[in-house]
Amino acid sequence: MQLNPSEISDLIKKKIENFDLSAEAHTEGTVVSVTDGIVRVHGLSQAMQGEMLEFPGNTFGMALNLERDSVGVVVLGSYQHITEGDIVKCTGKILEVPVGEALLGRVVDALGNPIDGKGAIETTETAPIEKIAPGVIARQSVDQPVQLGLKSIDAMIPVGRGQRELIIGDRQTGKTAIAIDAIINQKGTGIKCIYVAIGQKRSSIANVVRKLEEHGAMAHTIIVAASASESAALQFIAPYTGCSMGEFFRDRGEDALIIYDDLTKQAWAYRQVSLLLRRPPGREAYPGDVFYLHSRLLERASRINAAEVERLTGGKVKGKTGSLTALPIIETQGGDVSAFVPTNVISITDGQIFLESNLFNSGIRPAVNAGLSVSRVGGAAQTKIIKKLGGGTRLDLAQYRELAAFAQFASDLDESTRKQIERGQRVTELMKQNQYSPMSVAQMAVSLFAANEGFLDSIAVNKVLDFEAALHLYMKSEQSELMNNINATGDFSNEISNGLKTAIETFVKTHSW
Amino acid sequence: MSELATLARPYAAAIFKRAKETQSATSWSKSLAFMSAVLKNPDISVVVDNPKVDKQRLSALMLDICQGHVNEENESFLKLLVHNNRLRLVPTIAKLFEAFKADDEGYMEVDVMSAYPLSKEAKQEFAATLEKNLGKKIHMNVAVDKSLIGGVLVRAGDKVIDGSIKGRLQHMQKALK
Repeated sequence: MQLNPSEISDLIKKKIENFDLSAEAHTEGTVVSVTDGIVRVHGLSQAMQGEMLEFPGNTFGMALNLERDSVGVVVLGSYQHITEGDIVKCTGKILEVPVGEALLGRVVDALGNPIDGKGAIETTETAPIEKIAPGVIARQSVDQPVQLGLKSIDAMIPVGRGQRELIIGDRQTGKTAIAIDAIINQKGTGIKCIYVAIGQKRSSIANVVRKLEEHGAMAHTIIVAASASESAALQFIAPYTGCSMGEFFRDRGEDALIIYDDLTKQAWAYRQVSLLLRRPPGREAYPGDVFYLHSRLLERASRINAAEVERLTGGKVKGKTGSLTALPIIETQGGDVSAFVPTNVISITDGQIFLESNLFNSGIRPAVNAGLSVSRVGGAAQTKIIKKLGGGTRLDLAQYRELAAFAQFASDLDESTRKQIERGQRVTELMKQNQYSPMSVAQMAVSLFAANEGFLDSIAVNKVLDFEAALHLYMKSEQSELMNNINATGDFSNEISNGLKTAIETFVKTHSW
Repeated sequence: MSELATLARPYAAAIFKRAKETQSATSWSKSLAFMSAVLKNPDISVVVDNPKVDKQRLSALMLDICQGHVNEENESFLKLLVHNNRLRLVPTIAKLFEAFKADDEGYMEVDVMSAYPLSKEAKQEFAATLEKNLGKKIHMNVAVDKSLIGGVLVRAGDKVIDGSIKGRLQHMQKALK
């Protein structure tokens, strides 16, 4: 783009015209000490809790400790240039970040500044990072599904719009993989996604971005990144930043999905900030308000009713509910879910997806432990056909788990027990799914239907996934009308049941797997 | 600095109470100012900070220097500070004492920086406006600071009203970024 000098001077002139020339009144304080990103400021008797404070060199901080003679401030960003005696100004504002549609497809830091090299973000709207969650009157119960595109989860642990479903497991159990698949599966559904990466390697974040771009999922996604090399303060506020960006969509009658990857690291960052602020340590050296840290964040994920949306948009959007679904991730150490932060977040959320490393290592991926995973509200939101067909799956797996220990004595077992074990083995096999290949409702329905009706019983366990793949291919080419019908309505009727039955019977006769 | 204020507050509150009882706030304020000035002297600082100097000799030295500027109560206050190893707090105590005094008498210390010397009428007018604005009587200390280029900058406690050209230019620099 060519810029000519007159354009620039016009631009500057315009800016100067809008410039407020009245005398500026503010309160000031002076820096007393700087220690590891925590600055103690003398004065500032008018500072508010969480207020944004301005340091020299265009650096900002957040007031966290208000004491009699001083204010404890965390610096957001680098603090190397701040020295004793520097002037600190109050801005009179709680920390705000840019929000809006313009952020979709972008990668931003915890303060909403773009870090993907694609230029400035064209949005004028901002929102404070800390907001109080919607009240009881404004809420509506969860009754629409979010399809994650994973058979094992959508069938057994359904997630509804506005729900908070925890993904918990050790390192290397595929927690992030579930989250990424969930984002990819929202393509074309109108659900906007926000992926908040906290304390991760920059290379991992770059990988996520690349994978999302490859699958065309960046267009509906915002990535908020506070990598391991950024200050603890930024890692601590990143989830709130992402949440405010998600609330923008919720409050306009749209649906959004936010993933916090992961809240364990956020709790660590907050512990660091708190200890440096000399707040008293409690259990596992976390400060006393670590429960509130997560509860106030997750409480903001909610479904709000049409009246509230109408009120928030000033009557512009009518008759639409808004939702923000949260998938927080917690990393456990050695499978210990009774540690402090995991128990807290389990008790806050509406259920958890429990991933186990021995399942993962034995090749069951996603490594979902169907017995320990629950969804407390998702059942009401589940697609009818999946609900109907998935019920059997859960039962089959539960019975299989009880009998699995006897599987090695297969020859000595009675007929019905042996059958249950064989069904269980096949259903377990069927629940396996490759990464980056989310399934539509109809595809899941076909797989589950085949398992329920016993079509898999005559197939060798190691051939189940081949059978499924071939079946899906066949259904796509030969029965596209039926599949489209299921995807469109999600209902389960005799007509659909009969249609599926004849289709699968025809397919089985071809022996083409 | 903030920790010093926390430590100094009980002393300042105590002597202010005593000063009110004996109606000697002005004399206290004078002697505190003198003591602070003494303690700011580098030679004295070395002695005060030296742990080898014992307390009796230190208090004798301090009383000797301050002779004629302190009364009996001031003397026992000094001895107490030496005994508690808090002699370093004197400047902070003096500051807090002044703040208590100002608060009690209902006025406020205001620093006014101006780019050019203000005329007497201008000062009076300015003081009247500020009193109305801050809702308190003020004691105005005017100083000239050429670096402001033009206008005035007012400091009242933590509050700053920046009406200087320098401030506006800085503000504009930010807006144009």
